[in-house]
Amino acid sequence: MITSKDAFVLILAGGVGSRLNILVGQRAKPAVPFGGIYRIIDFCLSNVMNSGMTHVGVLTQYKPLSLMRHIGGGEAWDFTGRTRGVKILPPRTGEKESDWYKGTADAIRQNIDSIEANPSDEIVILSGDHIYQMDFDAMIEYHRYKKADVTIGMMVVPLSEIHHFGTGIVDDENRIIEWEEKPDVPRTNLASMGIYVFDTKYLLRTLAHSRDEFDFGMHILPRAIVNDRVFAYPFYGYWRDVGTIQAYWEANMDIIREDSGISPEEWRIRPNIGTDGRPMDRVPTRFLAGSKVNSSMISAGSVIEGTVINSVLSPGVKVAEGAVVTNSIIFEDSTIEKGAVVDLAICDKRVRIGRKAVVGKGGDNSKLNRAFPKHLYTGITLIGKESYIPPGIRIGRNCIIHPKRTESDFGARAEIADGESF
Amino acid sequence: MFKPSILAMILAGGRVDELGVLTYYRPKSAIPFGGFARVIDFALSNLLHSGIELIAILSQYRSYSLINHIGTGAAWDMIGRYRGISILPPFKDYENPDWYRGSADAVYQNLDFVHFHEPSEILILSGDHIYQMDYREMIKFHVEKEADLTAAFIEVDPRDAHRFGIAEIESEDPRGGRVVHYEEKPENPRTNLASLTILCFRPQVLYEMLAENQKQNSYEFGRDIIPMMMERNCKIYGYKHSGYWGYTRTIGEYWRTSMDLLGKNPMIDMEKWGLRTNLEHRNIRDCQPLHCGSRAVIENSMAYNGCHIEGTVRNSILFPGVRVDKGAEVVDSVLFFNTIVEHGARLNRIISDVNTTFGAGSRVGGPKVEGSGDGITVVGWNNFVPKGMMIGRGCTVYPQLTRDKWTSSILRDNEVLQ
Repeated sequence: MITSKDAFVLILAGGVGSRLNILVGQRAKPAVPFGGIYRIIDFCLSNVMNSGMTHVGVLTQYKPLSLMRHIGGGEAWDFTGRTRGVKILPPRTGEKESDWYKGTADAIRQNIDSIEANPSDEIVILSGDHIYQMDFDAMIEYHRYKKADVTIGMMVVPLSEIHHFGTGIVDDENRIIEWEEKPDVPRTNLASMGIYVFDTKYLLRTLAHSRDEFDFGMHILPRAIVNDRVFAYPFYGYWRDVGTIQAYWEANMDIIREDSGISPEEWRIRPNIGTDGRPMDRVPTRFLAGSKVNSSMISAGSVIEGTVINSVLSPGVKVAEGAVVTNSIIFEDSTIEKGAVVDLAICDKRVRIGRKAVVGKGGDNSKLNRAFPKHLYTGITLIGKESYIPPGIRIGRNCIIHPKRTESDFGARAEIADGESF
Repeated sequence: MFKPSILAMILAGGRVDELGVLTYYRPKSAIPFGGFARVIDFALSNLLHSGIELIAILSQYRSYSLINHIGTGAAWDMIGRYRGISILPPFKDYENPDWYRGSADAVYQNLDFVHFHEPSEILILSGDHIYQMDYREMIKFHVEKEADLTAAFIEVDPRDAHRFGIAEIESEDPRGGRVVHYEEKPENPRTNLASLTILCFRPQVLYEMLAENQKQNSYEFGRDIIPMMMERNCKIYGYKHSGYWGYTRTIGEYWRTSMDLLGKNPMIDMEKWGLRTNLEHRNIRDCQPLHCGSRAVIENSMAYNGCHIEGTVRNSILFPGVRVDKGAEVVDSVLFFNTIVEHGARLNRIISDVNTTFGAGSRVGGPKVEGSGDGITVVGWNNFVPKGMMIGRGCTVYPQLTRDKWTSSILRDNEVLQ
């Protein structure tokens, strides 16, 4: 029997996040590595932990294995214990129907049994793919004070960005009186962060209204604003939806800068540096004679002999003598061999850049990726998981090298031109 | 039925005068080493990789740091139905009012624990050496030779031989042979084969010897048990170990052993050795990646997550949470957890214990001067070295000195501040 009256937290972690391209080829967006040792969902899970909540459900759908492995038993976020817990909630077949989650509200509706099994006055619904720090306990207090049916975390975003968001127009009391989902013509700069506190009874009632209402932003909230008490909870700190390659890269670079407002350490964000079955721990990073490292984040287990500038390195990255890594994000156990040059790239796990190979050649960022011009348009090149870039090969900008490419795949090619995929 | 058959007992050691301030608040085996780990992690990791899963740690001096470090034992996979680490503290009962009076006495006092597990072999280890070894090879040798005791030996510098248990062994087997002579810390060593304090006993013989030893008034394995067994013509074999062996009995040795972690092909390669520590201890698993500022210089050094480096670091080892501010310089030094080196401070050949801050512009330690010993300066934990303070070579600063102790702005070479 659960006796705690803590709010029950449901984290939506099922979306594809397809704009992250090959980074989400084999993992859900919340499981994408971030900031060296974190995964995107760590920010959300740590916020929940630091807000004192102990009952959590994570709704998964798209390629959940990496995410499930990462969450494990939840020890990293103190979710293990007699009355605590984090549960993975995948879609399932019922007696009558079998359904994938059709949207955010539908996903919650299909897990009403979990809500009933974790009795609480409020339900906190979060997206698992945002980078921010927030105290949900304070938000619940606000929710209670306002006697709200729904409270939505909202922040001011630039008008040029507003068309990506659900937007609300508020009165003097912060009560939301009008709602527009992803408007073409902005009427406000107040955007929803996808953070909701629902009165539990109200949520159950409103979800029962119609099974065709499967999305909070499109269906549930517009109706609620007309009929019920919906309040905006203003948020002023650092918050990023890292759903695009550009935003993802920028947020990683923000960690390096001291004045950017993001600090995983100060925010008490906890990674789960599960050792992936490694028989040893990551040892401290070794900086060898001749190494040059500036303005970077370097994770344990790396060996740096070359140059690393303005980059974020995950554990176990090797940068050999004479290799130069700049403006890049390198995932676990990748190797940059002697004399190789990597600029403005995101290398997935266990990538090997051969001797004297170049990734991000030339300085021309203008040629968009031909296959995904909306994904890669600022010069960033993606190297897929476990790919091997043979020695001496030159890869341009806005390129995509798919996972597991080998030397023989490249054949006699000496170059991948700007904007090409391979 | 599967059941672990080998019991390992680790002697966690006590305070060591020569290690001074580093063992004020922790036993020798719990001293930080390797930029994130503790000395005892080397023995524990060796046990893990040797598949030995039943472990007891004998600890009596300031055990808290050690107990905290061991935790549940999960860090070394020693948690489960038949796996475990037990910490055995000293106790009183009707018969025995004493503290552990020595390493052999510590094992004797816990014989009921040992009997309970009915081990086929008992492996006694010292928890304060830096080495990698597969104990299974040695145990196999021990079983093959039907020995009562097999002890591991390594060749040391003949000049140092007088500090160890020294054996003369027959060369019947490339792996080792019968011990024909053994002497603890001999004035005139006959050989340079030094005991690593890795002892594999036939349990029945160990029980008898420990009981016999109780009649004497000294209770050490090296000084008492092995010589007694030699006298009684027990079957004692020496097993030759040839890899790296680092010891940390003095400040100078600790420093020199630490320096073996550095370089392109370090003698102590923790990654290759498969070292494991408890990342829960001091929550180092939660540290963010090392942050390196725009003008930082880091060369031939080792640093873990949680460090912030803006200044210059050369030939040094930085534990999690170390901060080196702009214009500060750290050379040939070992800085434990959360050491802060403020703007313009310069450290050279020092060891700093945890939570110590070096005020802006302070100068601590100095380059080696030939013929004047190691000259390593050691600063105890929770100190605040005042701004502009000058501390020379070979100095010792006691832990957590209050502000009124820092009366002078100069501490000359080899002076002690307490």
